Amino acid sequence: METQTQVYPRVTVMSVKGRVDSTSAGELETALKKLLDEGKSNLVLDLSGVEFLSSSGLRVLVTTLKAVRKTGGDLRLAQSSQRASDAIDLAGLDVLFKSYGDREAAVASF
Amino acid sequence: MGTAKPPSPPSERPTRQVRRLKVRDGAASLTGVCDFVEAAASTSGFDDRTSHACQLAVCEAVENIIQHGYQADSGEIEVTAQTAPGVLTVEIVDRAPAFDPTRYPIDPSATLREARVGGRGLLMIRRIMDDISYERRGRQNILRLTKNRSFTGV
Repeated sequence: METQTQVYPRVTVMSVKGRVDSTSAGELETALKKLLDEGKSNLVLDLSGVEFLSSSGLRVLVTTLKAVRKTGGDLRLAQSSQRASDAIDLAGLDVLFKSYGDREAAVASF
Repeated sequence: MGTAKPPSPPSERPTRQVRRLKVRDGAASLTGVCDFVEAAASTSGFDDRTSHACQLAVCEAVENIIQHGYQADSGEIEVTAQTAPGVLTVEIVDRAPAFDPTRYPIDPSATLREARVGGRGLLMIRRIMDDISYERRGRQNILRLTKNRSFTGV
């Protein structure tokens, strides 16, 4: 798994690529926690490069969502790959996240 | 793991194949399990989306055994895939304490306050696979997951 972060004035976008399963979920959690520790709570996750997303990865997304909402922020999803989108739907977690077809729309939504 | 190869024309596919994989390295083996299921699903002639759904279901089941059954200790898991055109059956055998995933209660609704992601893997398995059966034989848990229809979404 690889992550890449782009910081805008009010929003931070993290692009995630590759497999997010129990072997890489911790790495994603650490990267997201670092953003929270820096006070960044308006987050967009660009999931266009995600090839596999297991419940371990979904757990990190929900944990982060809870944390940013507590501080008045939000975690929104952008251009999820079919595979990421299927995993989120199958887990019944699609109702928790605002999702956007492209990252510009997700950034502009804040 | 990448895009699945296009399935072979039906005339080139053998009618029934069995392949086996032994998992001994815990979570580090999950990519190998996915590759194994991807190859089996391709032999059954499933499209990439259905193949991915099967990989997700089997990996969730194996991950549950590693994390909760063996509690992250090393323990052997045997995965057997039986393929025929349009049908994939994956049998997962472990020697962890008895656990019947078909009877575990799951609440499919999710609110942020209550969202426990525990149990989500089992929900995914139930939503993906067309038939799920469990048997406790001696000291073995035997879970059979069958896919016989294309996955087109929840």
